[in-house]
Amino acid sequence: MKHILLIFITLFTLTACVEEEEFPNTAQGNFEALWKIIDEHYCFFDYKQQAYGLDWNAVYNKYKVRAKGNIDSYQLFEVFTDMLSELRDGHVNLYTSFDNGRYWKWHENYPTNFSDTLQRRYLGTDYHITSGMQYRILDDQIGYLYVGSFTYDIGEGSLDEIIKHFAFCNGLIIDIRSNGGGNLTSAETLAARFCHEKTLTGYLQHKTGKGHSDFSEMEPQYMEPSSRLRWYKPIAILTNRGVFSAANDFVKTMKCFPMVVTVGDQTGGGSGLPFTSTLPNGWTVRFSACPSYDRNCQQVEFGIAPDYEVNQTDDDFRQGIDTLIEFARKLLVK
Amino acid sequence: MKNNWIWFVFLMFLVSKAGTAVAQESSSAHIIGIGGTNILDTYISQEKYKGTGLTYLYIRERAKSGKHWSNVFEHELDLSRADDRSKTTSEIEASYNLYWGRYRSWNLLNDHLRLQAGGLVNGTLGFIYNMTSSNNPAQARVAINLMPSAIATYDFRLWKKRFDVRYELNLPLLGVMFSPNYGQSYYEIFSLGNYDHNIVPTTFISAPTFRQQITIDWRANDSFTLRVGYLGNYQQAAVNNLKQHVYTHRVLIGFVKHFEITPRP
Repeated sequence: MKHILLIFITLFTLTACVEEEEFPNTAQGNFEALWKIIDEHYCFFDYKQQAYGLDWNAVYNKYKVRAKGNIDSYQLFEVFTDMLSELRDGHVNLYTSFDNGRYWKWHENYPTNFSDTLQRRYLGTDYHITSGMQYRILDDQIGYLYVGSFTYDIGEGSLDEIIKHFAFCNGLIIDIRSNGGGNLTSAETLAARFCHEKTLTGYLQHKTGKGHSDFSEMEPQYMEPSSRLRWYKPIAILTNRGVFSAANDFVKTMKCFPMVVTVGDQTGGGSGLPFTSTLPNGWTVRFSACPSYDRNCQQVEFGIAPDYEVNQTDDDFRQGIDTLIEFARKLLVK
Repeated sequence: MKNNWIWFVFLMFLVSKAGTAVAQESSSAHIIGIGGTNILDTYISQEKYKGTGLTYLYIRERAKSGKHWSNVFEHELDLSRADDRSKTTSEIEASYNLYWGRYRSWNLLNDHLRLQAGGLVNGTLGFIYNMTSSNNPAQARVAINLMPSAIATYDFRLWKKRFDVRYELNLPLLGVMFSPNYGQSYYEIFSLGNYDHNIVPTTFISAPTFRQQITIDWRANDSFTLRVGYLGNYQQAAVNNLKQHVYTHRVLIGFVKHFEITPRP
């Protein structure tokens, strides 16, 4: 009986609370919380230190002086957004009830290379829509598929219908310009229709601790061919700087297949899987947490260069011609 | 041949029942609880969430007459909603806990005090869901724990009525739990099948989960016993550089049925 009592007293004494450091809900407290969340979870510190000299400790000193005293929420939001912009990452956002903090220079500083006015001249009004994708056959027997977003779930039945519709086409244009991403699984479902053998498409890591270099081993990512209808003929993917996140990953995957070329501008990037967290004042911060790489273990965070760099020309625009679509058509007809 | 096996199993069942034909004392309690919940999960947020929750608790205890060993089953269902301190973001927590314990008992103070000590196996299944996060909004909670446990029950009379005061304490020892790695996404675990220390052995240091309940039973008559009390369940873990706690405090009310199973001669 005494031994049993001793065991219980020992275990009870050793039982401690699992707690986390809590910052006060002040300008300074929120600043410290935000800086710490990014410091412990953001996944591109080492890469961006090499790419453009990012120093997160220097960022702390630079912005700490701006986030103190009796500044209001709007001013604090501005300080935080400026600080997060130092990461140059479209996956880093600050969500409040009055605004969304963002860094969009990765596409705002570049030509759009996409006009829905021009696209309408190619799609007409009698095009088909399924699973959020628009498609039709162009005059020269080239299939045109526009995937403006991967936020929709792409149904296997929809893909069967699209491939059947394009069965007699000589080539296929997959236009993903200004596709800002969405579900990785949707991008993978689509890509699997163009994959004909198990293919290494890239690598993925995740953080294993709070240090800037605490990462897991690189895990290879493979694409398996779809067991349903597949497309075997040449493909041209149209890209611009608005291709981001899951759409960037789609390009990364498709470039592994031999019958695929990319046409247009460099993609916008965004290769980190984002996580979110919250601040003491209730604001939500989103950040890149898990880096992915291409099949050569290279970063694609700042985008993927096209095989054929083509920009929309003013002359073509005035004539109602989409330079990128026309270039891709000629490429596929060859 | 197949029929022979069925008969053999049936006969063995009858023999085993015949061998255990001893009177059993049993009680079952249906209890509901309401009270505060405190949630922390650093995989989702560094912030603590506080709110209110409901609990349904079923306790069944069974012991053979004249024997010192008893079995206790407890089913605990919890559902909570909690807010952060700014009242801007919310989390929902739901869990099911099964406790199966086996105890040795000692009767003291002219049989007024009954002490039970033993161990129980706890299985946890649940989730925490953050209603504002879009990319890593949820955390799955799956764990199995081996917990030393003790129960003290004291019966007394007041105003010619019989009362029982019962205190139960479950302490942490060893276990195993599911956890994503520090920055590992559920997409990587379940869509890509990448394993990275996701099944984690735990001890009373890394998962100091403990639980206590104190109740007072008022035996109104032979068929009805009213139970009121407090249940505190403090589930905690610090694994894979992630911290998690779900503290629930519940005021309990329910009823207990006592019965005796007497085998036919």
